[in-house]
Amino acid sequence: METFLNISAVYGVYLSISVFVIGMSWRTYQWATTPKSPVRLGMFPKPKTGAGRVLKMLKDTLIAPQSARIEPLMWAFAFAIHVAALGAFIGHGRLLHEFTPLVTWLGEDGMNTFAAWSGGTAGIVMLAAVVFWIARRTFGPFKQLSVPEDYLLLALLFGVIIMGDHMRFVGTIHAATYREWFQSLLVFKPEIPAEILGSSTGWSLGAHMLFTDLFLIYFPFSKLVHAVGAFSANLVRSE
Amino acid sequence: METQQMTTLVGVLDQKMNRQLKQYLDICARCAICKDACHQYVATQDFKYLPARRAELIRQIYKKYFTKTGEFVPALYEARDPDENLLDELYESTYACTGCRRCMYYCPFSIDTAWILSVAKAILIAAGKGNEMLGQLADAALFKSDNFEMFKDIIVDGFKDIEQQVKGLTGDPDAEIPVDKQGADILYVALAGAHSILPAAVIFHEAKVSWTLSYFEAANYGYFFGDAVKARKIADRFMDEAKRLGVKEVVITECGHAYRVAEIFHEAWSGEKHPFKVRHILEVIDEYITDGRIKVRPDAIKEPVTYHDPCQIGRNGGIFEQPRNIVRALASDFRDMTPNREQQWCCGGGGGLVAISEMDEFRIKSGTIKAEQIKATGARIIASPCENCRLQMEGLNDSMELGIEVKAIMDLVLEAMPLPGSFAKDASTD
Repeated sequence: METFLNISAVYGVYLSISVFVIGMSWRTYQWATTPKSPVRLGMFPKPKTGAGRVLKMLKDTLIAPQSARIEPLMWAFAFAIHVAALGAFIGHGRLLHEFTPLVTWLGEDGMNTFAAWSGGTAGIVMLAAVVFWIARRTFGPFKQLSVPEDYLLLALLFGVIIMGDHMRFVGTIHAATYREWFQSLLVFKPEIPAEILGSSTGWSLGAHMLFTDLFLIYFPFSKLVHAVGAFSANLVRSE
Repeated sequence: METQQMTTLVGVLDQKMNRQLKQYLDICARCAICKDACHQYVATQDFKYLPARRAELIRQIYKKYFTKTGEFVPALYEARDPDENLLDELYESTYACTGCRRCMYYCPFSIDTAWILSVAKAILIAAGKGNEMLGQLADAALFKSDNFEMFKDIIVDGFKDIEQQVKGLTGDPDAEIPVDKQGADILYVALAGAHSILPAAVIFHEAKVSWTLSYFEAANYGYFFGDAVKARKIADRFMDEAKRLGVKEVVITECGHAYRVAEIFHEAWSGEKHPFKVRHILEVIDEYITDGRIKVRPDAIKEPVTYHDPCQIGRNGGIFEQPRNIVRALASDFRDMTPNREQQWCCGGGGGLVAISEMDEFRIKSGTIKAEQIKATGARIIASPCENCRLQMEGLNDSMELGIEVKAIMDLVLEAMPLPGSFAKDASTD
């Protein structure tokens, strides 16, 4: 298990974060340095002021009200997975530092219960959305339109989420132990705590990290670059 | 296909590459939310008309030739060469698109599929697979300007005939259709045929404005064909005329794509700012009515009237309220369609489709939703300021027995204007 964890939860983390950061920067740089279309591609009605345009862009990107109107179910799942992923991402902030004010307020046990509920909800919501998306891509025009990239990303996401959920719902290791591991990565003195190595949950962490590594490595070369591109593309809408 | 030609086609994509196109090709998630935005896909359920699929064909070339991952693992993106198969598919998807950009409205990333397809057209043209009919019409327009002396007298004679009708309608023996008038305030760009000249001439006469009529028609088949150079040259015909005459504004007739070409595309194509304003005739008429420069009888039209927002004037041109103001000023029963304005359904006639006879059956079928919308209003008259929309809706009227009259807004204005000679109008507007 130690070798596996060294690969996925130590070196894989360094590699994937490097590829992700460099890849996304390169992609953004490429976009920024490609000349803009001389033709204005905006559609009407458009806001009259610069601030109005930015506000509309944020609304279109973060809420996508038009998409909600045309396919509410798809929108609901898409919105839910993004919000849940953001929640999960914030929750993983505990690996950097314990949310001390929350612990002070809720107490040690209260914090763990809160994390179990919020993390658990996010985990289930994301799983449901990914299952919905996989199901949606198995029939009709959605299947015809899909390419292997779509399934690869969904498979990786499914792996990340299901293993995360496994650690959340089945595993018995708490945040403090994972924090030890993650902190050791941050100071470049990687060490996997004995509690993780001695528990079967170590395998779950290894798998969770393996999927996450692959997901992050592929991210800049996939359609997921919409995480950055959607903002500027939506800004063009009111040009 | 020869490797040489494929290199050329990839070169066209490279030449047309810009930030927006690159982003559109990179970020589409193939979520297919655009599926139900497209009237053609909804009416036919045919995969090749699904907006994301149309763009996907260009994306397949892009992935293979412009991205490392696509070059090494083409299977991951179904990346492929611009070979005969791809081009044939591309032709069907691309020239069928009306460019209404309803898919862009609903896309969470605002991907402009029509813009991607404008590049698809450039690739098809480079491969010698541009739509023949549209190409011929574009060349005919350029032939007219290149050999203008040959046509000038015929054109002016035609204007003189219409001038007689203007005299009759206005009761003013001195009423005229000015042509080539140096220093006029307005250069009016009409369509070929009296129907778009006569009402405007009467309106300008009554509003007592200084105007002149362009020798050239507004229609731009170079734009539909997808050749930006030809399209620019076709628009240059009246843009150069406007510069030469020193007009304050160019006013485009009730035509959708011509307005967008003049107002949005032409400056970008020519790389210089117009020394004049570009406006749509409906903006001008609305202003004349509001300012009291022309009079229309309220309730002149008693039958229920509905209005169709042409894509290139509404969603893509920004003119929503002026035509509604005009119709409300002269009709007692105005009924909007649902949905309308920026969410309006394309009628199915845009993109030059009405000129492509092999698309007739498909075009009418794709208008099913529009026909249902019209029916639901119970209107007897449908007004729309775009020639292609009107032709399409006349087609829908005939084939689906809607029992409506399709009119230009100017026709309604002319009917509602208290003119001494207005008895003559029925004979003259068609």
